[in-house]
Amino acid sequence: MSVTAAPLPLDRLKAILAEIADLKHAESIADWDSRVSMPPDGAAARADMTATLTRFIHGRLVSDEIGELLEEVGELGDEVDAALVRVTKREWERARRVPSDLAAELTHSAGIAVAAWDKAKAASDFESFVPHLERQLELKLRYIACFPEVETAYDVLLDDYEEGTTTADVERIFARLKEELVPLIEQHADAGPELQGPFPLERQQQANRLVLDAFGWDPASWRIDETPHPFASKPGARDIRLTTYTSESDLTSLFSTMHEFGHGVYEFDIDEALARTPLATGTSSMIHESQSRLWENLVGRSRGFWRWFYPQLQPLFPDRLGGIDEDAFVRAISAIRPGLIRCDADEVTYGLHIILRFELEQDLLAGKVAVRDLPEVWNARMKEYLGVDVPDDAHGVLQDMHWSTGLLGYFPTYQLGNIASVQIWDRARADLGDLEEQFARGEFAQLREWLRDQIYRHGSVYPPRELLRRVTGSDLDPEPYLAYLRAKFA
Amino acid sequence: MTGTAIERLRERLAEVHDLSRAAMLLTWDERVMMPPNGAQARAEALGTVSKLAQERFIDVDVGRLLDELRDVEESSDPDSFEASLIRVTRRRYEKATRVPPELVGEMRRASALGLSAYGPAKAASDFESMRPYLERSLELRQRYVECFPPADEKYDILLDDYEPEMKTAEVRRIFDELKDELRPLIEEIADAGDIDDSFLTGEFDPATQRRVALEIAHAFGYDEREWRLDPTLHPFMSSPGAGDLRLTTNFRPNDLTSLFATMHEFGHGVYEWGVDRALARTPLGTGVSLGVHESQSRTWENLVGRSRAFWRWFYPRLQGAFPAQLGSIDEESFYRAVNKVQPSLIRIDADEVTYNLHIILRFELEQELIEGRLAVADLPEAWNARMKEYLGIDVPDDARGVLQDMHWSGGSLGYFPTYALGNVMSVQIWERAVGDLGDLDDRFERGEFGELREWLREHLYKLGAKFTPQETIERVTGNHIDAKPYLRYLREKLAPQMA
Repeated sequence: MSVTAAPLPLDRLKAILAEIADLKHAESIADWDSRVSMPPDGAAARADMTATLTRFIHGRLVSDEIGELLEEVGELGDEVDAALVRVTKREWERARRVPSDLAAELTHSAGIAVAAWDKAKAASDFESFVPHLERQLELKLRYIACFPEVETAYDVLLDDYEEGTTTADVERIFARLKEELVPLIEQHADAGPELQGPFPLERQQQANRLVLDAFGWDPASWRIDETPHPFASKPGARDIRLTTYTSESDLTSLFSTMHEFGHGVYEFDIDEALARTPLATGTSSMIHESQSRLWENLVGRSRGFWRWFYPQLQPLFPDRLGGIDEDAFVRAISAIRPGLIRCDADEVTYGLHIILRFELEQDLLAGKVAVRDLPEVWNARMKEYLGVDVPDDAHGVLQDMHWSTGLLGYFPTYQLGNIASVQIWDRARADLGDLEEQFARGEFAQLREWLRDQIYRHGSVYPPRELLRRVTGSDLDPEPYLAYLRAKFA
Repeated sequence: MTGTAIERLRERLAEVHDLSRAAMLLTWDERVMMPPNGAQARAEALGTVSKLAQERFIDVDVGRLLDELRDVEESSDPDSFEASLIRVTRRRYEKATRVPPELVGEMRRASALGLSAYGPAKAASDFESMRPYLERSLELRQRYVECFPPADEKYDILLDDYEPEMKTAEVRRIFDELKDELRPLIEEIADAGDIDDSFLTGEFDPATQRRVALEIAHAFGYDEREWRLDPTLHPFMSSPGAGDLRLTTNFRPNDLTSLFATMHEFGHGVYEWGVDRALARTPLGTGVSLGVHESQSRTWENLVGRSRAFWRWFYPRLQGAFPAQLGSIDEESFYRAVNKVQPSLIRIDADEVTYNLHIILRFELEQELIEGRLAVADLPEAWNARMKEYLGIDVPDDARGVLQDMHWSGGSLGYFPTYALGNVMSVQIWERAVGDLGDLDDRFERGEFGELREWLREHLYKLGAKFTPQETIERVTGNHIDAKPYLRYLREKLAPQMA
């Protein structure tokens, strides 16, 4: 009989983390399936399955054994191993603060609230959603109370999504944005003609595939499906799933496809050596969003891109686009048009949609605004920031799913992602030269390789702000983003 | 944990159930949705989830709860939910805890390796490359058998995993009866001359096949709120949770087998669909055994889907869907073609009669393997000789012989007999349904299948796994498993072919 040595603490830790990663893989499939392929009546059983998986994941994560192993492992010289320990420690400590019944309740009530939100939105009936949102808020306050040493309540939530960024950071940045965006919108809002559908669904899907092919997706590892609320997910290595929503009335599906591609390519290009560890995912919501926005806006709304793609798009919709030349088309997809819906917003007004939500979230947590009064406050602020009248709550406070799933403190990361995207973009152009000429030839590989080398392959090895510094040489800074907007729109 | 012992047991079993169904969903996704390069990560995820489900079930807590619940079990009505739950759980727990976790892990690993070697081996018709995997899985099966107290026959222990409490001797008795009757029947049919089924091969647009398959499924009771149907290479049914039934089928572009495959998988699905919802998230909330499951897939595929009355209703519609291919073929010719009996090489393409001989051959070889009377290396030769003896045909290569099924590569020994047992039981249940409901033909001719489905739900499906398979069959039919009704059915149905 051979004598096997007891496994080293780091190996043992990795083995447990691999199991957690496997359970998260199952959780991810359960979620993707429920949004893409599950027959509707399967929902109740699926909620049970998901709750069980979540309970096991949480239970494994908060185990004493992980704490002991983290102690035993100690300081590590290897950069990746050290990052693994750092990230695990952070997750372990945060999870340990939260009693498991509260963790379970957060998941469980979110499941119920999403279904309630779905119905409420369809009927534009905020009243029916009030108790669910109140419940989410109450649970979030209990969650915040698990971190008594944090002075600003909102910091607790923000830190879940954006490590190292505080509410004060966000306030400072958003104040600067407001200063510039409001006048920019006032001076340059465009009332020119919008693109008119119908755009047949199959043709749109064909266009989406052409773009994905050029960006470098591979059907052996990727798929794309239709869902009402587009998202991207990676259950496991080399399994990337995008979703989009294609509507005959407009071409937003193309932009949402490029957006989700950005999320997908970040996950796909993570070094496979990190697979089945907590490092095998993008480092934060902000950095993730910087990549979705980069591919959607900085690439997908650029002149170079359309010089290449418009001649391919136009013949797919001859009766709709035949009479519109490239210039007019690019203007139409770039116009500043204050509107009701965040997801449909242009690059400039988008920021104000986020700022509004950030402010309301803080007011809710501070008890300055009651859930019941949300629609009124929402509508007033939409009028103030964007000058639009909200006709009903479906187009107002009920438009986003986030609050129903307990995602409070998440919205700011979208706008921080916009800001980071331009910092990264500027750096890429400094390194690679003018990219638009390549785009005009349908070539995107050089950009992607650069991003892979600089960002994607590292997964979560570096915390978000540190990664940004490594890549761009500076900290999070709104000025490049504002300069980009001024140059493009002013 | 709080609550009474039975509540705690239910809680634990619900957890195990959720994990097993998550594994089922991962498998469905892998076969239907997953991009191919996701396979490695999926294998790991599936391994972890299945292992966790097993660990949670064989945990000492479960044993302790079962001990605590002995009194409840004895004082409760055996038909009650509680007594059934405790009884069934105890039986499974006692079996599962006999097998060391290392052996379970090794079997799972060998199965994964065997299945991944199977594809290329079959494609190259290369038995030799498969041999080490088969030897390994046979060796593991031997070790598995040794975990249990000696049975009358080693094979009993294998069989019990798929058809609880069924004995090899009983299967042999049934199969001998089938063999004695079917071999002459096949000869008689062959002597009666050939039936033209050439029109069943041709170009059949897969999208149209799908539309037609769904039309049939809807008439049977499929609806979009609870069901879905997807294309796959090897058809199967999966139910990752209550209210969630997933059929798959293979829409081959040059024949109509997808229709029968869809009806077959619908039978599996409707059985799961009909299980009493009060049994959900317990081991009782599913079909009772593979054999009984197969009885239902075969009922909907053959007893309904190859019946004259069914085609009286549906054939005009099918003709409308494929006018170029079937426009000039009358209903009688079509009916005879889809019921044509002819010895052939491949089990899954076999007709209702010869199918059973494919199974009997496998059943016999499996016993010889597990008892060490046949070496893996000699399997192709034994296979080919028996195909010649039972079906009179020569096997041209191992891809169409011993390598045609993936079961053995995955370590499944003792599984095959359940297919033929399902055939046998299907007719027993059917006769009882017809006894209660009267002749169903006039309803089928109008495309009405609701009464049959509801009868099956009421008498069979809703019972789930509360009783043993044999007890279930006795409750439904009043009789023990018996091959005679099935043989009578085949003789009656096929008499015109001999005329």
